Amino acid sequence: MSKRGEVRLEGVGKTFGETRVLREVDLEIRPGEFFSLLGPSGSGKTTTLRIIAGLETATEGFVHLDGKDATLLPPGDRDVAMVFQSYALYPHMTVAQNIAFPLKMIRTPAAAIDAAVREAATRVSIEHLLQRRPGQLSGGQQQRCALARAIVRQPALFLLDEPLSNLDAKLRVETRVELKRLQRSLDVTTVYVTHDQEEAMSLSDRMAIFMDGRMVQVGTPEEVFRHPATVQVAGFLGNPPMNLMPATLAGGRASVAGLSFKAPQLASLGTREVTLGIRASALEFADEGLPGTVTLCEVLGEEIIVDLDVGGQLLRVKSLQRERIPEGTRVHARIDTARLHVFDRTSGARLEP
Amino acid sequence: MLAPGLLVLVATTTFPLLYLFWQSTQNINLAMPGMGGYIGAENYVRMWEDRRFWAALSFTSVYTVVTVALQLVFGMAMAMLILRIPRAQWAFRVAAILPIVLAPVVVGLFWRTLMLTPDFGIVDYASRSLGLGSHNWLGDPDLARFSVIAIHTWQWTPFVFLYLLAALAALPEDLYEAAKIDRANAWRRFVHITLPLLRPAIVVVVILRMTVALSAFAAIYAATGGGPGTSTEIINLYAYRVSFAELSLGYGAAAAVVLLVITMVVAGLLFRLRRAA
Amino acid sequence: MRPRTGGALRNALLMTVAALLLLVWTVPILLAVVTSLKNEKEVLAYPPTLVFEPTLKNYAAVLTDATSILPNLTSSLIIALATTMLTILIAVPAAYAIARLRLPGKQPVGFYVLATQLVPPIGLIIPYFLILNRIGWMDSYQGLVVIYITFSLPFAIWLLVSYFEDIPREMEEAALLDRASRWQAFWHVVLPQARGAIAVTVIFVFLNSWNEFLFAVVLGGATVKPVTVAMYNYINTEQTQWAQLSAAALLAMLPVILLGVLAQKHIVKGLTTGAVKGVGRR
Repeated sequence: MSKRGEVRLEGVGKTFGETRVLREVDLEIRPGEFFSLLGPSGSGKTTTLRIIAGLETATEGFVHLDGKDATLLPPGDRDVAMVFQSYALYPHMTVAQNIAFPLKMIRTPAAAIDAAVREAATRVSIEHLLQRRPGQLSGGQQQRCALARAIVRQPALFLLDEPLSNLDAKLRVETRVELKRLQRSLDVTTVYVTHDQEEAMSLSDRMAIFMDGRMVQVGTPEEVFRHPATVQVAGFLGNPPMNLMPATLAGGRASVAGLSFKAPQLASLGTREVTLGIRASALEFADEGLPGTVTLCEVLGEEIIVDLDVGGQLLRVKSLQRERIPEGTRVHARIDTARLHVFDRTSGARLEP
Repeated sequence: MLAPGLLVLVATTTFPLLYLFWQSTQNINLAMPGMGGYIGAENYVRMWEDRRFWAALSFTSVYTVVTVALQLVFGMAMAMLILRIPRAQWAFRVAAILPIVLAPVVVGLFWRTLMLTPDFGIVDYASRSLGLGSHNWLGDPDLARFSVIAIHTWQWTPFVFLYLLAALAALPEDLYEAAKIDRANAWRRFVHITLPLLRPAIVVVVILRMTVALSAFAAIYAATGGGPGTSTEIINLYAYRVSFAELSLGYGAAAAVVLLVITMVVAGLLFRLRRAA
Repeated sequence: MRPRTGGALRNALLMTVAALLLLVWTVPILLAVVTSLKNEKEVLAYPPTLVFEPTLKNYAAVLTDATSILPNLTSSLIIALATTMLTILIAVPAAYAIARLRLPGKQPVGFYVLATQLVPPIGLIIPYFLILNRIGWMDSYQGLVVIYITFSLPFAIWLLVSYFEDIPREMEEAALLDRASRWQAFWHVVLPQARGAIAVTVIFVFLNSWNEFLFAVVLGGATVKPVTVAMYNYINTEQTQWAQLSAAALLAMLPVILLGVLAQKHIVKGLTTGAVKGVGRR
């Protein structure tokens, strides 16, 4: 594992004029990690990235890079490379000149530049495009050019701001895999911003989830998926999104959508109003369970996703049964109570029985 | 990087204006240098009572409004016309550029001599051939006013034409297709789609042309010098003549201040309009 | 089926109207060209003749006479070039700084610059006249160039700021991350992309300087007389010398006409970006 690229954010916050876009971010990124910043638009994840890069200055808190206080350090002194969402390629320079630019700025001798440019280009498979201009490249090629420009310097920290969002769906999935391989082969600490939860889950060693300018949870993909810290996080991760229903707990039973069922493991939570969460894959069709009527059935090939109307509440069920269930059919959905999530109704915080 | 530019900017604009205000409260007569001094608002009072000033003000308004209106109408009509003849567009571009790049003083001189001279000017020749007789285009007060407006309109309509041509060309095709499907005829399409979409461009071009019309000088100076008498004197010219012909700089400064205020007010109103667009 | 003839007739009508319009806007200049090639006698012939023996005598006279406009052409050139170069040198960095500045006061500054463009020149003439007189710079190159810069600069800055704002910030940020200094980012990344904008600005500043009349006539004199003022040599006398006037005027306008025709794409582009303040000066 690389020893460089450790990032530590302490109480970082950012205010633009009147608006506070980021608050109380405490984060630690370990060297060599692939770390994602995940969240919906406007949640503060890009701001956080830009603060790490030095393109924005935190209005509160501190930024430490490799143990040194870098809060006020200009971006050029941070040994950080960034791939922008728009790629930010220099249109008047060739691909080779674009990639060479960072080396030119630190006055690397010409021969060394050539070799480095060639190597970086080959790593991302664009060595045949070196004499073209960005305007002549496809979206995917432009993105690789931006990548090459970032890796040519062998930086300590690699920052990516939604680099795949401008690509079409198929290309996105292919490039995703390549990105991960690239990161592993270079062994460089990477911070990755995205709003696509599947992307973050697939790529990250660990991730931080942002909502409304706050960091609400940090953990490995398994941790955040299986133990979401808030209702918002629960609803954000997973496809289809987790089913969330208002419910009442009392005396070891849960009442939801007019039905009541035994939930002894939740008895310790006492009597309260909660939000119950259950993933579509944790429900299955059976003879007993929550009764509902099918309103929609999506056939995806390997599985089906069924929308159920359960007492006015929408419940989604994912089933590996591959035959279509016609609309209007009355069915029962059994809950795997071991995979029930409980959140406090008012605060949205996770409750552990 | 910013410092020198900003400094020059502020210095060169604020300072002279302040000086101008100051001068307008002075009596500066270059013919009698010893007699100068602070006279407060006296220059303004004098202006208020000067019929020549009011005539200049009235003509300035007429001049500005008429020429901008004409420029707009002609420019728009030409733009719509030429849009339909793509092959002629390059010829029109070149023909439109020429009046715009010529110095206004040269335009004024050309019109004064080649075009409008009685008997020999081509406009006079044309009017005679059409049976309208020969006229003193620049010597008769009413005709002179008309001529001066025509000259300004001639020089600047191409600007409006080019501007609106570009704006029209940028309008999205699909709106028109949708309208055609909804059975709107050509006039309806113009009124309900073209005009509203062009509104921001029209407002901008009106602002630009109005401010240029208000500060017109060289062309009128060259064509009539403000005459005959004072019939084609816009305030700009009035201020100049008073300052430099009569050497009464304080009074001229006051006239300039008045013009400045008018320009600011008009521009302010128009900008308000633009914001609302 | 729509009859074909309707369309053809309509086209013919449109073409005719278009041709007439073209005529209206080119006649004065064509007339000037024709007149400049005529003998003075022929100029005043009635009815005006279209067929004649062209002569270059007028051009020769205008250039070599006692009242040759050659020195005036030179004056205009010096002033226009100096003004343009200095204006660009100051305006480009300033506009860049303004475009990139995240000052809260940016809106009012922008409006202020705009407002300065609206000041009628007559308002500035009087103070400048008095000031130049005081410091002895009347009728001098430095005086005139400095004054010209005062009205070219806000205009140039205004033009350039909107172009600079259009260049995405991210490119400079990428350069900064690549260890470029602010200046290097400007020089290597921003400037090459602003080439078009700078060209347009140069053209307009040069045009406005060359065509300037009011400031030239008031603040210039016997030594520094740009060619726009020199036109008047040909109108003084009772007998206006039309042919020579036309020749002189066309020579005087030659640079701007050439500029206009050769750079028309740039000019049109400059005119039609919403940020352009009036191209024409009084």
